[in-house]
Amino acid sequence: MARQKSVVLAGTASSEGLKKAGLSTARLLPYLFISPALVYLAVFVLVPLARGIQLSFTDTRLINPTGGKSVGVDNYTNLLADDRFWNSLFVTITYTAAVVIFSLLLGTATAVLINKPFRGRTLARAILTFPYATPNVAVALIFIWMYNQSSGVFNQSIAVLGFGQVGWLEDPRYGMASVVVATLWKVTPFVMLVMLAALQSVPDELYEATRVDGADGVSTFRAIVLPHLMPTIRLIALLMTIWSIRRFEIIYLLTGGGPVESTNTLVINIYQQAFNQQKLGVAAAIGVLGLLLSLVVTVVFFVVDRRATRKESQ
Amino acid sequence: MNRTGRRSGKLVSRVLLSVFIVVASFPIYWMFNTSLASDSELFGSGQKFLPQLQRLNEVPQNLAEVEILKLLGNSAFIATGVTVLSFILAVMAAYALSRFKFHGKGIAGFFLFSTQMMPEALLVVPLFALFAGFGLLNDLSGLVLANTAFTMPVAVFIMKTAIDKIPYEIEESAKVDGCSPYGQLGMIVIPLILPSLAAAAVINFFDGWNEFLFANSFITDQDLWPASVGLAQFMGQYSTPLSTVMAAALVFTLPAIAFFLLVQRQIISGLTAGAVKG
Repeated sequence: MARQKSVVLAGTASSEGLKKAGLSTARLLPYLFISPALVYLAVFVLVPLARGIQLSFTDTRLINPTGGKSVGVDNYTNLLADDRFWNSLFVTITYTAAVVIFSLLLGTATAVLINKPFRGRTLARAILTFPYATPNVAVALIFIWMYNQSSGVFNQSIAVLGFGQVGWLEDPRYGMASVVVATLWKVTPFVMLVMLAALQSVPDELYEATRVDGADGVSTFRAIVLPHLMPTIRLIALLMTIWSIRRFEIIYLLTGGGPVESTNTLVINIYQQAFNQQKLGVAAAIGVLGLLLSLVVTVVFFVVDRRATRKESQ
Repeated sequence: MNRTGRRSGKLVSRVLLSVFIVVASFPIYWMFNTSLASDSELFGSGQKFLPQLQRLNEVPQNLAEVEILKLLGNSAFIATGVTVLSFILAVMAAYALSRFKFHGKGIAGFFLFSTQMMPEALLVVPLFALFAGFGLLNDLSGLVLANTAFTMPVAVFIMKTAIDKIPYEIEESAKVDGCSPYGQLGMIVIPLILPSLAAAAVINFFDGWNEFLFANSFITDQDLWPASVGLAQFMGQYSTPLSTVMAAALVFTLPAIAFFLLVQRQIISGLTAGAVKG
């Protein structure tokens, strides 16, 4: 090992020496640097992923996670015939769409508001960043308390206005909205910060050119700033989408997938199948289908992004 | 656009911004407020809007009763392990991606990015089976290993973006002077990207600090609970007063907020640029 290392060192001691010692060492060098990370991911992501795919074709149960026999594609065919699965797919898409759309709108609006210098801007930006840094479990806990039906601050406040108690986390009509609001509180600052960075990169001359033309704020934004922001917006949309499909803590702790499965996303469904129903095989099958959903979204994103970039650069 | 129009536009944006600031800060304020209220107020006479600061001196005692230091200690252990392991793996990978052309570079980048779309909930099942075989359930090192797979790629993106910005000539002149690639990375590149390394460390540390899913699934020994799992458990059982739960949640949250504010700038440039290039 020590000898091998010294060869590497000698071989790259100077650019001339590098050539002499043989190109193979130089060619190996990047792999020496990157392989620990890739091997690590192979062990802790690829192997479990392969095992997960394999599990999805078995009837493995939690009590005996290394046992279980092959059942072919039964888990998949059962899922595709199961209303619960289709419901959780629908719930995932609804949740994702709501979070992506509203976080982009609110985050962009906030970024525009604090883009121009004003007194106290640094402090305002700092406060607006608080939710992004707040741990998911803490977000869930404070929102559970604020949503509390009899004593939470939301119902206490609307009681003053003469409204009755609302079961924010208990009523199937409001469960999804309540989970989306708590999620938006947490993730919108991320959109704001990224959009703010993108806004700051809009060249001043662009603004000035339109100001001379006498354009008002809104049309300046639409004509000049928005096209400049589009690549960033697409990127955030992708990240928000795949993060929403993945999101676990906030939903699990707020509603656990209820009321009446109205917030039972694929990821919550996986967890419940695995640790409540103890059906590891079924859970793995849902996971594989969920991953396919993320993959499809990502591929669509890259296709759309490439087309749009080509169009914009014309 | 006329002058009054512009002025009223300014007023509208001020009002909107104030609303956003209140919305962003209120839950944190309410956590603080709740931590200083008694259960009889919270569930009976109603929570007061202003915090009862005279109760502040009771908070340390309440927190000691739920063994907050043990919980935070376990979280800190996981977070530190994740940060160190991620740093070692990521700094080398980022250097390779930034400075070398090699076969399979695109695949390596996509592989790193793909962890961003992998639901942990999918991996939790096979990892549970694997860890059971290696005796890594109920072991904090198991959590370090599992979480690093998700935190390390983020560190790679941030570090690669930072290394991209350093002119290569500096390393080249060192190379001519006989400096090895490891020396170039350790003695030239790393000192130049310290702010971004700090940002990556903060993100990784608090990813480990906050993590709940793996900890909740793998750890059944109460002595090994990190704060995330402990807090979630308190909320479920009614034996712990709500004020104590909220005080603990606040103590759990404040370090994260403080550190994120310190390295905010690097976080944003790293996350966006890194994710774009994948």
